[in-house]
Amino acid sequence: MNASYLELKGIRKMFGDTPVLNNVDLSIREGELVTLLGPSGCGKSTLLRCIAGLTELDGGRIMLGKQDLANLPPRSREVGMVFQSYALFPNLTVTENIEYGLKMRGVPKKERLRRCEELLALVDLEDKRGTYPQHLSGGQQQRVALARSLAVQPKVLLLDEPLSALDAKIRKNLRTEIREIQKRLMMTTIFVTHDQEEALTLSDRICIMNKGHIVQDGTPEALYSTPRTEFVARFMGSYNVLTRTDAIRLFGDGIGMAESFAIRPESVRLLSEMESASSIGGKRIVEGKIDSITILGNVIRYSVDAAGVLLTIDILNDGRSLRMEESGTIRLALDPSQLLQLEKEGA
Amino acid sequence: MMTRLKASWTHRSLMFLLMIYLLIPLLATGLYAFAKDWQTTVLPESWTLEWVGEMFQDLRFLDALWTSLYLCLISVALSLVVMLPAVFVITVYLPRWETFMKGLVVLPYAVPGVVAAVGLIRTYSSGPIDIAGTAYILIGAYFVVILPYMYQGIRNSLLTVSAVELLNAAELLGARRMRAFVTVILPNIWPGVIISTLLSFSVLFGEFVLTNMLVGGHIQTIQVYLYQRVGESGHLASAIAISYFVFILAMSTILMKLGRKINGEVR
Repeated sequence: MNASYLELKGIRKMFGDTPVLNNVDLSIREGELVTLLGPSGCGKSTLLRCIAGLTELDGGRIMLGKQDLANLPPRSREVGMVFQSYALFPNLTVTENIEYGLKMRGVPKKERLRRCEELLALVDLEDKRGTYPQHLSGGQQQRVALARSLAVQPKVLLLDEPLSALDAKIRKNLRTEIREIQKRLMMTTIFVTHDQEEALTLSDRICIMNKGHIVQDGTPEALYSTPRTEFVARFMGSYNVLTRTDAIRLFGDGIGMAESFAIRPESVRLLSEMESASSIGGKRIVEGKIDSITILGNVIRYSVDAAGVLLTIDILNDGRSLRMEESGTIRLALDPSQLLQLEKEGA
Repeated sequence: MMTRLKASWTHRSLMFLLMIYLLIPLLATGLYAFAKDWQTTVLPESWTLEWVGEMFQDLRFLDALWTSLYLCLISVALSLVVMLPAVFVITVYLPRWETFMKGLVVLPYAVPGVVAAVGLIRTYSSGPIDIAGTAYILIGAYFVVILPYMYQGIRNSLLTVSAVELLNAAELLGARRMRAFVTVILPNIWPGVIISTLLSFSVLFGEFVLTNMLVGGHIQTIQVYLYQRVGESGHLASAIAISYFVFILAMSTILMKLGRKINGEVR
């Protein structure tokens, strides 16, 4: 299980003179769900299309099992893909869409229909057999697209922002459903998204991409708790990114050699007037002025001006939180052990 | 609710005026085709079927109608056979060529019919391709005339159905390109293609300048025939014009119905 199943080595792709993928290496184990996460234009969709064979490589190798995919046409790669726009065939019914791949492979009718029923059950669309795609909701269409690509039992499933065109509630449900199906089938999957919450909830592993590179990869926990660069810190959450000067102003000397630092918004505590400094050993107390307060539902987000540094602080909205007003003064407790040192971009 | 009613009332009267404006010449032509005496009165004093009868007795009329019909059909069919694969390949595989194609397809608009005709005659009346005055030069010219309609129609259909994505999806599911084109592209663009074909056909059937200049002396199409008879008798010319119109109307209706039926099957 530990050996890599899909292996990308030194993938390069140029669009004109601009490099879109710059020596990308990635290896994926069998049955793993890996997310490519990054802002638009970072090359994540291009990487996916290269694996599928829809975009030609300018350099590098793609190994799937023991097979080199580079020179195979898309139809021989045994790779399934789900598109953001579903790309269902409008002239075919749900059943005909799902069995399309099997038909192209010459599977007999009886076997096709049996397989089709299985998949309809899997995506919970048994009552939509004879419906045409345009009469289905977006979520249903995407489930048909998923079933269609799973029908031919691909070795790898590629999902290109499959949930981006759906509204929030359906997106959350479908995301859970995709993860369940993926686990049940032990399907090796690459999921492309620009939504960090989506990536955190469904991945075994996340690769953060920027400007044609994978800048950091790891489990969702690892990426969230220890971003290595400023880009990752900003992308993964609402980390406070501090320059060295800012960090010294808040934490004093002895914070390490890095040029920039990050601290999570939920690791800073606001102190009530009654709490004495002695009750919170090991932390630095800093005075600050509240700049703005935003209620995000279960979290209250404060923007605090502390010693000339603007900090974002998240406090759980549990009803016990302090009543505070904008432009009031407040004391903050900062924990030096929570301060992360960031590497330079591209290092 | 009131404003909506009011708006719809204005719309209706505007539409009505427009219809009158468009239909009056047709109506007058129609009346004239069946009129015997029409001098000093608002409506004709007496009616006759003489002109229509004369028209149908004139073998040249039916001949001309038939000639026009098959010349237009051949041109449209040729255009369909050439343009469908060409536009598909350009839109899907060579999007860079699109700018070039866009320029190319507006050329028929940019060159006036008379200029084009003179140019064509000069080019093709000598040299290796000596086809001036034959049906071939006319079919060639017709092909160019309908180029914009066919190109835009096919291209728009392809873009509307996101042909590239459908093709990608089909290929990843194991289809060869040709099979993918036949199974998922063609059935989806067909309604749009039918409409452009129909439009092209109507355009050609009504085209006069090029036809008259290129083959006027050699081949009698319905347009050329009509033009020749205008001088002889206004009544007869009206009868020809009206039957010409009825013919196109019938043709369009049939094709529209056909298009809708195919459309209905796709939905």
